[in-house]
Amino acid sequence: MGSSNGGILSYKRVLILILFLILVSPIFGVFLADMIGYHEPLDVAAEILGLKDLTEKSNWTPFIGYTVPGLPLEIGYVVAGFIGVGIILGVGFIADRFIKRRHN
Amino acid sequence: MHIPDGYLDIATAATTYAIFMIYGGYVLRKVKGKLTSENISLISVLAAGIFASQMLNWPIPGGTSLHFVGGGLVGIMLGPWLGFLVMTIVLLVQCLVFHDGGITALGANATNMAIIDVVVGYLIYRSLIKVFDVKRTGQTAAAFFAGWLGTVISGAACGLEIGYSHLFPYGFTITVPVMAGWHAVLGIIEGFITALVVIYLTNRAPHLIYSGRRD
Repeated sequence: MGSSNGGILSYKRVLILILFLILVSPIFGVFLADMIGYHEPLDVAAEILGLKDLTEKSNWTPFIGYTVPGLPLEIGYVVAGFIGVGIILGVGFIADRFIKRRHN
Repeated sequence: MHIPDGYLDIATAATTYAIFMIYGGYVLRKVKGKLTSENISLISVLAAGIFASQMLNWPIPGGTSLHFVGGGLVGIMLGPWLGFLVMTIVLLVQCLVFHDGGITALGANATNMAIIDVVVGYLIYRSLIKVFDVKRTGQTAAAFFAGWLGTVISGAACGLEIGYSHLFPYGFTITVPVMAGWHAVLGIIEGFITALVVIYLTNRAPHLIYSGRRD
């Protein structure tokens, strides 16, 4: 696991695991989901009850549902994973630099 | 468990946003001036790991799926304050970047997964460790129950919110038992993964299990 003072990159094993999880994620999130006709449980309930899911009508992001415009679903899912992880680690990296600067 | 837009009425959305904001404000006061570079690295790596693991939906024939939520595990590792920050980061990215969970339901989703799941996981683990033994078997069982019960109670809270909302045709006398029962089954996998990770950390990196020193 990570050392106490090496920053985000010191968690190499976890970062490799995250990379692995993203690369295999389309198997679960796209292929198998298509195979069994998967929908979110709350979406299924809403459809049965005639509730309006406003997600698509009120959408603000090009990456809705972990898709990337212009890319096939499987590749888009992987790219979306990298985008999400990149944003989280990027924010962490900036916050880390900020804290280090304040402490110095 | 991510509630989309259109499910919660104004009163439910506002109430859950208020809970999220008040608890979040309290957490920020608790951690103010105590965040170290080490903590921030751990928070962001854990958040990235939870985000990636939530992308692995394991579909179940019949049209639903299992996926790891992670709130209980985060509570065990980081405690209720830093654990809240981890899950909030994950939920914000899921909602704002991928529209996974509605913006009107962000308060409810955060209440369920960043507050209830984390706090329940933390409290159950710490209580069981204290009451029973602290050896490996006890830790494994405590981690399992922490992960499982965190999922069940946050699922029940989700049921309470959609049942209380006037937009949902069934009341909470129906939605709470349905959601709690469903998550009692799904939570077995959550408990199993939580226990596996805690065993691994206990052996390889025991300093990553929360002891109260981190915040």
